[in-house]
Amino acid sequence: MITYIIRRILVSIPLLLGISILSFLIIQLAPGDPTSLFLDPNIKPEDREAFIEAYGLNDPVYIQYFHWLWQILHGNFGQSLIMHGIPVSELILGRLPNTLLLMVSSAVLAFIISIPFGVLSATKPYTLTDYTVTTASFIGVATPSFWIGLVLLMFFAVKFPIFPSGGVATLNAPFSIWDRLHHLILPAFVLAASDMAGLTRYTRSSMLDVLRQDYIRTARAKGFNSRKVVYKHGLRNALIPVVTIVGLIIPSFIGGAVVVENIFGWPGIGNLFLNAAFQRDYPVIMALTMISATLVVIGNLISDILYAIIDPRIEY
Amino acid sequence: MRAFRKWHRIIVFIFIVALVLSGCSQKNATTDTYKQTDETSGNTEKPKDGGNLIIGTSGSPTLFNPYYSEDTASSDIEGMIFNGLVTVDENLNPVGDLAKNWDISDDGLTYTFHLKDNVKWQDGQPFTADDVVFSYSIPMNKDYTGPRASDFEKIKEVKALDEHTVQVTLKQPFAPFLTSTAGYGILPKHLLQDVPIKELDKASFNTKQPIGTGPYKFVEWKDGQYVKLEANKDYFEGRPHIDTVTIKFIPDANAILTQFQAGDIDYMALQSTDLATGEQLVKQGKAKIKTTPSLSYTFIGYNQLNPLFKDKKVRQALTHALDREKIIQAVMNGDGKIANTPGSPLEKWAYNPDVPTFDYDVDKAKKLLAEAGWKDTDGDGILDKNGKKFSFVIKTNQGNKVREQIAQVVQQMWKEVGIEAKPKIQEWSSFIKDVTAPTWNFDACILGWALGVDPDPSDIFSSKEIAQGLNFVHYKNPELDKLMAENTKITDREQRGEMIKEIQAGIAEDQPYTFLYYDNDHIMYNPKLQNVQQHPSIAYYKIEDWWIKQ
Repeated sequence: MITYIIRRILVSIPLLLGISILSFLIIQLAPGDPTSLFLDPNIKPEDREAFIEAYGLNDPVYIQYFHWLWQILHGNFGQSLIMHGIPVSELILGRLPNTLLLMVSSAVLAFIISIPFGVLSATKPYTLTDYTVTTASFIGVATPSFWIGLVLLMFFAVKFPIFPSGGVATLNAPFSIWDRLHHLILPAFVLAASDMAGLTRYTRSSMLDVLRQDYIRTARAKGFNSRKVVYKHGLRNALIPVVTIVGLIIPSFIGGAVVVENIFGWPGIGNLFLNAAFQRDYPVIMALTMISATLVVIGNLISDILYAIIDPRIEY
Repeated sequence: MRAFRKWHRIIVFIFIVALVLSGCSQKNATTDTYKQTDETSGNTEKPKDGGNLIIGTSGSPTLFNPYYSEDTASSDIEGMIFNGLVTVDENLNPVGDLAKNWDISDDGLTYTFHLKDNVKWQDGQPFTADDVVFSYSIPMNKDYTGPRASDFEKIKEVKALDEHTVQVTLKQPFAPFLTSTAGYGILPKHLLQDVPIKELDKASFNTKQPIGTGPYKFVEWKDGQYVKLEANKDYFEGRPHIDTVTIKFIPDANAILTQFQAGDIDYMALQSTDLATGEQLVKQGKAKIKTTPSLSYTFIGYNQLNPLFKDKKVRQALTHALDREKIIQAVMNGDGKIANTPGSPLEKWAYNPDVPTFDYDVDKAKKLLAEAGWKDTDGDGILDKNGKKFSFVIKTNQGNKVREQIAQVVQQMWKEVGIEAKPKIQEWSSFIKDVTAPTWNFDACILGWALGVDPDPSDIFSSKEIAQGLNFVHYKNPELDKLMAENTKITDREQRGEMIKEIQAGIAEDQPYTFLYYDNDHIMYNPKLQNVQQHPSIAYYKIEDWWIKQ
């Protein structure tokens, strides 16, 4: 197992390098540059040119790339073009914990809600319960997250002010875990909503498959109570395909987080990514792309390891 | 089973109806998070000190140094931290800020500012003329890397005559000097003099400890969340009433409105599309709205590199074919005023109300197009000339619903006169790259200009701004060029005003743009906020005089 992990990590290095080259090229291909913000009659074209020269944006692409790579290898993510010299690492580190918190809570929420409902659906197939759960999950997948977010905001923050309307914590108030959780619930739920549907259905069909197996029948014949059969014997096996999704959910959250962060004013990297893309803040875009790529690689690795742990048939 | 299927259908039906209804209805918020304040008559109440103001805004700032910032989010906050020598009043006339008054030499080259002597920096040090000399010499320095050099290149020399007198000598008379250059915030020499100019844009002063002379002191900036400022108790105009001001960043416009309704923010800029919601809140006593015409206009620009638009008659016809009043009604709900010149009516001394206008007149449009040689020879409804159809692409930027709708509306209106316009929406950065020098890849575009306080039209309409500047429609009028080159040299306001009015009339006659409308700025705020003032170009105007009724 250890050798497997090491091998995987070694393979991901050239993978990430390739991703960085590709991303760099694609970003350079996009029309526009950071000076498009300068469409101000008071800022003359000479000033714009001076800016471009000063930040090396006139150099050939490969020189810019190697310059960037050299910096990265020394742990320097460069400085933001738009935010005037603020180190990119500072910008990201200020926000990354918020996004990670959001992603992890959404993932946890999604699993906590989807799996029991999926199991419920599977143990009572084609009943009213099953149809209700299925319909609800389809609604979750069909409605865009910004709509869900705004509607929930309207209902639970304005009409019935149960939850705060945005932000990470109450302004000007001392730190409190409850306050943080209070602010976290709505955004985490909205982010989880679209994945909950898939997870529920997936759990359901996997469970249905498993419950039909012979060993389940044997377990029932042995006289185990229903709960033991379903959860100890059934679910553990049904979770195998579900676990593989874990690795794929993480990258999807990065994308979904952009919308949720926008609506709830959540200061995460999703927002930073969006602004940097529109303003052509190349160092920030590259740094965030590499972080996302790394997260995807790690996510897949975790997924495979979990797979090996859960399924005794698998051996690396 | 059959009964169950029927149930299933009913449940699904109810779900769908509920969803559709929830999209339509406008429920009144029943929250009691607003303390109902009684309507006070006039400003007879004495302002009280204290309270916290939370402002919600969508733009995030980049840094707090007026010599390096380029975006309004940053400059709006800089306006609370720093002061310039001169500012403008509600009528856009220059009034003293750090300067008590000033003398201008007869040749218009030397300005002598007499500074107020009771001004202190927010760290307690006294403000003197040396700070002004230091600040202005930054963009004049050869190592300066920021974007504001051009605003200072007309200065020959700045020197301190004594502790409270500073003299600026220009290379040639430059009328906008007072309102543009002399408006720049002054930086503290004693804190920045040891920073090499080359590295000044990255100084930690800009992002961690900006210190100015203004009414509010910087406390902290949590990136992506908020900037917090607190009252400068020693402010030279008197202690600001409100204790702390927090500017909260909320990227989504709908979310800003929601947070206001939830009582989480007290002040926001209201879009014209949300005006109806805002007025509802006013009726419920939960908000107050203030409106002012903004210092900006929206226009359609015609690229004269395209042979379609070279003829003045054609451009005039294009304007005649548009019912601009209808556009304002349909797209802006009437929240705008038709524009005919490139200047704002707020600049009363330089605004020409009698320029040639090209009002909605479909017959006149058709006549002018016919005179220019355009006829529909093949009966397809589109005019043509020498085998070429009058068809073009009209571009605008994504993310601005108003402009996207205008593109649709004008497409319809032009169809009536046989002109085919195809709307295209483009992402901002690539749109700018396409439209501006040296690409000029566009036929017509819908854009807006936010005007500066000085009404000089040459940055946009002088032919010397074609090669690298903002005259991307390639407009050229040699007589007007001469006037535009002269106008900034005339320091006498009345004389200069006449010249600008003449330029405006000339530009209006040539119609390089169809000037669509001047729009309005609205602010919406919690009624507990008193004495709020609004200004067309200064955000949070006179915020030191606002106060909160607890």
